[in-house]
Amino acid sequence: MNLNGAIIKTENIWKVYELGAEKVPAVQGINLEVKKGEYVAIMGPSGSGKSTLMNLIGCLDTPSEGNYYLNSKLVSQMNDDELASIRNKEIGFVFQTFNLLPRATALHNVELPLIYSGSKAEDRIEKAKQALRMVDLEDRMMHRPNELSGGQRQRVAIARALVNNPAILLADEPTGNLDTATGIEIMKLFDRLHKSGNTVILITHELDIAKYADRIIHIRDGKIEKEEIVHQ
Amino acid sequence: MQFLESILQALASLKANKLRSILTLIGVIIGVMTVIAVTSIVAGMNRYVANELSELGPTTFFIDKWGVVTSEDQWFKVMKRKDITLADMEAVQEYCTNCEKVGAMAQSYGRVKYGNQHISDVEIHGATPNIEEITSVVTDYGYYPTDYDNDHRTQVALIGWAIADKLFPGIDPIGKRITIAGHSFRVVGVAEKRGSFLGQNQDNFVAVPLNTYQKLFQKKRFDWFAIFVKARDYPTIEKAKDECRLILRARRHVPYKEEDDFSFQSSESLMQVFRSFTAGAFIVMIGISSIALLVGGIVIMNIMFVSVKERTKEIGIRKALGARRRNILWQFVVEATTISLVGGILGVIFGGIIGKLVDMLTPLPAAIEVWAVFAGIMVAGFVGLFFGIYPAMKAARLDPVEALRYE
Repeated sequence: MNLNGAIIKTENIWKVYELGAEKVPAVQGINLEVKKGEYVAIMGPSGSGKSTLMNLIGCLDTPSEGNYYLNSKLVSQMNDDELASIRNKEIGFVFQTFNLLPRATALHNVELPLIYSGSKAEDRIEKAKQALRMVDLEDRMMHRPNELSGGQRQRVAIARALVNNPAILLADEPTGNLDTATGIEIMKLFDRLHKSGNTVILITHELDIAKYADRIIHIRDGKIEKEEIVHQ
Repeated sequence: MQFLESILQALASLKANKLRSILTLIGVIIGVMTVIAVTSIVAGMNRYVANELSELGPTTFFIDKWGVVTSEDQWFKVMKRKDITLADMEAVQEYCTNCEKVGAMAQSYGRVKYGNQHISDVEIHGATPNIEEITSVVTDYGYYPTDYDNDHRTQVALIGWAIADKLFPGIDPIGKRITIAGHSFRVVGVAEKRGSFLGQNQDNFVAVPLNTYQKLFQKKRFDWFAIFVKARDYPTIEKAKDECRLILRARRHVPYKEEDDFSFQSSESLMQVFRSFTAGAFIVMIGISSIALLVGGIVIMNIMFVSVKERTKEIGIRKALGARRRNILWQFVVEATTISLVGGILGVIFGGIIGKLVDMLTPLPAAIEVWAVFAGIMVAGFVGLFFGIYPAMKAARLDPVEALRYE
């Protein structure tokens, strides 16, 4: 399907949770388009449905209704294993709590997506080193997460997100567990990655952070409240 | 890579929590240990018995009227059988073409005296001279009573090592006169030490010519008398037996369809009897190890559930990064199998130690059976695989969103 350069396109997607007899609509008919190379922030207070939207965009979950195209592929109807493959190839996650494997070295953490895409060992190590170089952590690659600072851990997570050359970088409150200075450092890194051609989607509840993006989409009660263009 | 990672993960978690690991593995360890220990001990027993029986030689068998009696009914049945006689032996000697050597031996118990020393309950063998070759009694010095002795019913005897040791400490027994069950005999030879077999001293005997024996020792009802046959070679042993059967049935007028009123015994048939006893030990072993392995498997399943629960977040992360169901399934199955293989290896080691101790502390030459090691480890691996699948399936089916949210 031709999406006119849009890397993400959602058509009236809904996510309804059934809690016993009660139906809770967390996402209510969202239409969203993100073009290749864009830097978009999805902003909203807690309970606004932005986490659910992130799960849908990140292919961790499928919408109850509506279509979702990612990189020209209709992902809203895929099964678990197909979604796993899409997550592996098209999406680079960066989480608030870093979500690194505690027992594994930085290098091995970065290698993980490559393991699941079935790359050969030599390629894998080479690519993982390259990704760590991009986030200036080449010298710490044999360290475990508990031997790294918060900012370094997040940089490992970003390297891991980048390593498979995904269509989008999806960052969920990437500065939420960091002090202000380190948070700024991480946001500068995202800036740099965006400028080098990556599509970045940022999920946050902080306006300061959202302002790093070109475009801010405000979510409230599971709907898009408004959009604003920050930079042209 | 993923495979290696799962193995290392399993080993790391075993190392991280030692007490829990021991408790986890104890069932598998006991299961495999039982297999290894019992098989090595039983194999040791078999080897020991086979070694002792091999003195009879692979081509030798004997025919007596008793056979191996295993029940009271059988006892009464065989007791009524006609005795085997010297004439039976002579018939076999004459007509059996596949028999290379045919001899006979009678046996009873009596007291042996020298000077004022005596030994009670000594085995008195009345034997044809060729028994020496047929049963491979080794004469240490002197000689075994000869054909001449037999023909002339001389009162000469070869004495067992234990008799020489007790009655003639530091004295050469050759030429000395001893009293066997009240009759005077001259010692002409001493047999080599044979040691004991299944608790029975095999050196506590005297051997005298069969004819002398028959003349002097009133044949009692339960005296043992057997025809000893050495077949020409191993392949002809069955032919030789058939010939003997034909000859003896004809001589003893056993009617057609009636079973033999005598029985054949060879080292092989005695071995079979022994094996049927050790088979019981095997069955008990299989029972114990099955129960232990079942319990071990359930414990492993349980610990895998704990592991899956503890690592829910990790599973979520892996899924977010693109792990498919089968990747997660595989990871946990490999982990469970590794854990259980570690138990299997420890079981082999402990079982091996038990076997070695038995080998060192008892006369049984217990040795670890290679097939049992493989079987033990394979079964342990299979237990891990089997009991690991269900927890691994649960892990594989976790919802990534839920798993990521788990703290």
